[in-house]
Amino acid sequence: MVLIRNNVNVSGAGDRAMVFAHGFGCDQSMWAEVAAAFERDFRVILFDHVGAGRSDPAAYDPAKYSRLEGYAEDVVEIGRALELRDAVFVGHSVSAMIGALASLKAPGMFSDLIMVGPSPCYVDDGDYVGGFSRQQLEELLEFLADNHLGWSAAMAPAIMGNADRPELGERLTNSFCATDPEIARQFARTTFFSDNRADLPRLSARTLVLQCREDIIAPPCVGEYVHAQVPNSTYVLLDATGHCPNLSAPAEVTTAIRGFV
Amino acid sequence: MEEDLADLYENAPCGYLSLWPDARIVKINRTLTDWLGRSGETLVGQPLHALLSFGGRIAFETHMAPLLRLQGHVSELALDLLDADGGKLPVIANATEKRGSDGGHLLTRLTMFKAVERRTYERGLVAARTEAEANAAAEHETAILREQFIAVLGHDLRNPLAALAAGIRLIADRETLSDRGTMIVKEMSASVSRATALIENVLDFARGRLGDGLTLVRSSVALAPVLEQVVAEIRLIAPNRQLLGHFEIGQPIICDSARIAQLASNLIANAVTHGAPGIPIEVEAHVAEHIFVLSVANGGVPIPPAARAQLFQPFFRGDVRRSQHGLGLGLFIVHEIAKAHGGSVDVTSSDEETRFTFSMPAAST
Repeated sequence: MVLIRNNVNVSGAGDRAMVFAHGFGCDQSMWAEVAAAFERDFRVILFDHVGAGRSDPAAYDPAKYSRLEGYAEDVVEIGRALELRDAVFVGHSVSAMIGALASLKAPGMFSDLIMVGPSPCYVDDGDYVGGFSRQQLEELLEFLADNHLGWSAAMAPAIMGNADRPELGERLTNSFCATDPEIARQFARTTFFSDNRADLPRLSARTLVLQCREDIIAPPCVGEYVHAQVPNSTYVLLDATGHCPNLSAPAEVTTAIRGFV
Repeated sequence: MEEDLADLYENAPCGYLSLWPDARIVKINRTLTDWLGRSGETLVGQPLHALLSFGGRIAFETHMAPLLRLQGHVSELALDLLDADGGKLPVIANATEKRGSDGGHLLTRLTMFKAVERRTYERGLVAARTEAEANAAAEHETAILREQFIAVLGHDLRNPLAALAAGIRLIADRETLSDRGTMIVKEMSASVSRATALIENVLDFARGRLGDGLTLVRSSVALAPVLEQVVAEIRLIAPNRQLLGHFEIGQPIICDSARIAQLASNLIANAVTHGAPGIPIEVEAHVAEHIFVLSVANGGVPIPPAARAQLFQPFFRGDVRRSQHGLGLGLFIVHEIAKAHGGSVDVTSSDEETRFTFSMPAAST
């Protein structure tokens, strides 16, 4: 049930499991290349957050997913269903915090957290620099409201994997990472208005912070903040730019993860 | 004249923009710089972010950049570009990645079209939809309140009616009445029965609409005496009408007998109201091939085909004399009871007769 809800895909072989979690705006396909590099040594687990990719649209509950805890509960349920112990959790962007929350909810499930472009709080707050003002976030939500073109109810079945109607799939202009714009807006709100700074010092998992050189969503000062706040953490500054090094520099990300685990 | 490709690039009726893999501007055409009121030389080497509104920058990083890497192209994105004065220019953008023979990312190319009016229109559509959704939600809320009100009212009306019925019974049994008095008491009794039946229907309707649905208390029942009783009650209410009952059921039926009685009562009362007074009403029940069938037939003017489709809708009332108007819930409740029993109800209507037929599995559990 949980495995269908979150479109969980398990591959690879190994005693330890490595779970890859996508961030806001995409789905598990963004991890495909990096994840494939670990299939020889790890049980590789990919999934879509509810509301993204090929997750079960009926499982979307606006109240539950208005907080990152809702997503973290799903991660814990997936971990329980697959009987994970001392696994590695690799979370991109907002999923870095979702993984952190899951590790607090289920001690022993994840021994290692790998945070790719993490931010515990996107909005500036006093001395804390998150990089975003509230007004800028409202602008983002407006942008998402304008981008309904790539989505219509007719496309939903194709996106959800309706194999008996392939013609729907062919019509998709953007076949990856398609999301109902209303859910995208809510996920954006949940993501960018989250504040998990207080959770960082409580983390006990070994943690690797992977930071991109230029990233307007999670700038280096935020990555350094996370490293300073998480007790058992290592900080690696990648040469990659942008917010998705798993796509723009998969080899560099793979090397960094391999070096850590 | 020959096409001048350099001129086509610079002055195309759309904006062209090329980026390095790190999203810095390599080349931008004159059309786009003119739209933005900026100079091309100062933009080259700058990050794409310099041209995008904040929302667009985040969306580029979270949506477009990953999609471009995954599928090599992105279509029909709505973006706001910033002009020299900080104003926003809405555009629709398509983008592709130019990749080398080794698959390496060489350039990202974007084509942009102005979309000022389109965007205004689309925002209008979204606003209208949001408003319509809000209105529908408010109406739904009102409808629920109204139905709750009906349920409470119906429930509270039952008690005074029960008292009235008891009083009428007391007068009929214990008091010495003139012939005229006896007749009036009979009519009063019939009116109370009719009012009680109407209230039961209203309550069932409200329950159904409020989500509880019809609840059945099923047991194995000999239905013939139950139906005889219903026919006898209606004979009392409508002594001038001829009712012919013919029941050959032969086996007990698993059902809610009170509900089946209500269904039969509604169908027969309907026949009394709408049927031609001179023609007998036939009530017939039997079991054939594991199906229990109950039908009620009356003569008179047939139901127009257009009305047949709506008969089982709540509050549907045929074209009858005003004095005969009920609430229009009787057949709706019949339909709901049939459905709850896993059965169905159908109607045929001709100049000869109008017949309602209820059927359900005889071995239903």
